[in-house]
Amino acid sequence: MNIIARSMALFTAACLATTGVAHSAQAVLISTEQAQAVQAVQGAGASDRTQLHAALDREDLVAALQERGVSVEQLRARVDALTDAEAAQLVAQIDAAPAGASIIGTLFTVFIVLLVTDILGFTKVFPFTRAVR
Amino acid sequence: MTRRAWSAALSAALFSLFSLLTGCAVWMPLPQTAALQHQVPADLPRAVERSEVPFFPQTPYHCGPAALATVLGHAGLPADPQALAAAVFLPSRGGSLQIEMVAAARRQGALATRLPGELEALLREVAAGQAVVVLQNLGLAIAPVWHYAVLVGYDLDAAEVLLRSGVTERERLPLHTFERTWARAGRWAVVVLPPGQLPATATPQAALDAAIGFERTAPPAQAAMAYRSLLQRWPELPLAGIGLGNTLNAAGDVAGAAQAFEGVAQRHDSAVAWNNLARLRLALGQTDAARTAALRAVARAEHAEPAWLDAARATLALLVPASPAGPAEQAPALLKAPQAAR
Repeated sequence: MNIIARSMALFTAACLATTGVAHSAQAVLISTEQAQAVQAVQGAGASDRTQLHAALDREDLVAALQERGVSVEQLRARVDALTDAEAAQLVAQIDAAPAGASIIGTLFTVFIVLLVTDILGFTKVFPFTRAVR
Repeated sequence: MTRRAWSAALSAALFSLFSLLTGCAVWMPLPQTAALQHQVPADLPRAVERSEVPFFPQTPYHCGPAALATVLGHAGLPADPQALAAAVFLPSRGGSLQIEMVAAARRQGALATRLPGELEALLREVAAGQAVVVLQNLGLAIAPVWHYAVLVGYDLDAAEVLLRSGVTERERLPLHTFERTWARAGRWAVVVLPPGQLPATATPQAALDAAIGFERTAPPAQAAMAYRSLLQRWPELPLAGIGLGNTLNAAGDVAGAAQAFEGVAQRHDSAVAWNNLARLRLALGQTDAARTAALRAVARAEHAEPAWLDAARATLALLVPASPAGPAEQAPALLKAPQAAR
């Protein structure tokens, strides 16, 4: 599965790379995103490298989102809405980045602690608590 | 006596347990809340409430879509929590990630701009009429409870903020509790606005990030509007000028795009601007002017922006097909120079 996904990604990257070369002979402009990426990296040849990485990241991201339960019809639109930098960041942090949900999945001991910290005004987990200060 | 000893011991135990669990950060004072309460900036109203901001009570796990719908609705854009859930909810995590929140706003035709991590910036935005999406960690660093809410008001005299949060339409939270929960989530806050409007407290960098992301999905004319508003506030922002050129060109206004690139090229001697200007002049049939621009692009790339050397040379090659040997022969030596310097 992983090997298939990887080879698909490589294939797509190769396609993208070659289409890029073919197009550069016509009136293709340097994109704003590329300009920003190079400005950020400030290195020689960075644009080629970031482009190749970006193609790989996008395919990885499609696979990662699908594995994590995102519906097939939403996959493309969600990945396409991201910049290259965001796609790379999401690939790297998809299981670690904060996922806002407001669901309390904590153990009972933590429940007691949170109850007290709520009352002290350090946290606000429970709707029925009122901070003392 | 024994009872007292017991309760003292219990207090000590609880205290050390908190310290262990929460780290020392919890016990430290909150400089931003304290500073705001100590001295309110003269131009900041003492109390504001945006009662006109709509409310979408969240369904389980869906505080992200609900918060997004709230601010999109406030900005006068389509706001359907169900459709937004399909755009941001990540089932395996049981929640929504910040990057996708920003991208989903984009797909609805709005720019989500990150605010500086200062409490005062948030209050200023609310005072200016915005509703601000914030990420909170309602729990502790070791047992996080991530939650999106929308800041819609504050009262500095009562030291509290007002939020549209979860299933609570008007949540009043002490200012210091809010700052703790917000700081614990990395002080993340965004304002969602249609193109052409900019949050008052946004930094040029944050506004650029929002516009460049918006360019990816938005109709080119709308994205051009976003870049125009950036240039209006920060005329010296080269990437905003490049963005304007690219979006105008994508919208079919080649002459307008060339003008935008020319402005950036003249002001900042940017290789990207010279290169794109050369390409557009060529498309407009101005071959001589195109060659001048392409030469400037190559010169600038050789001098200061080696990353664009290949692109600039490729552009120049389109304009001098008769003698490609001249500039091309020098290519390897020039390309290697900056790499060897490392």
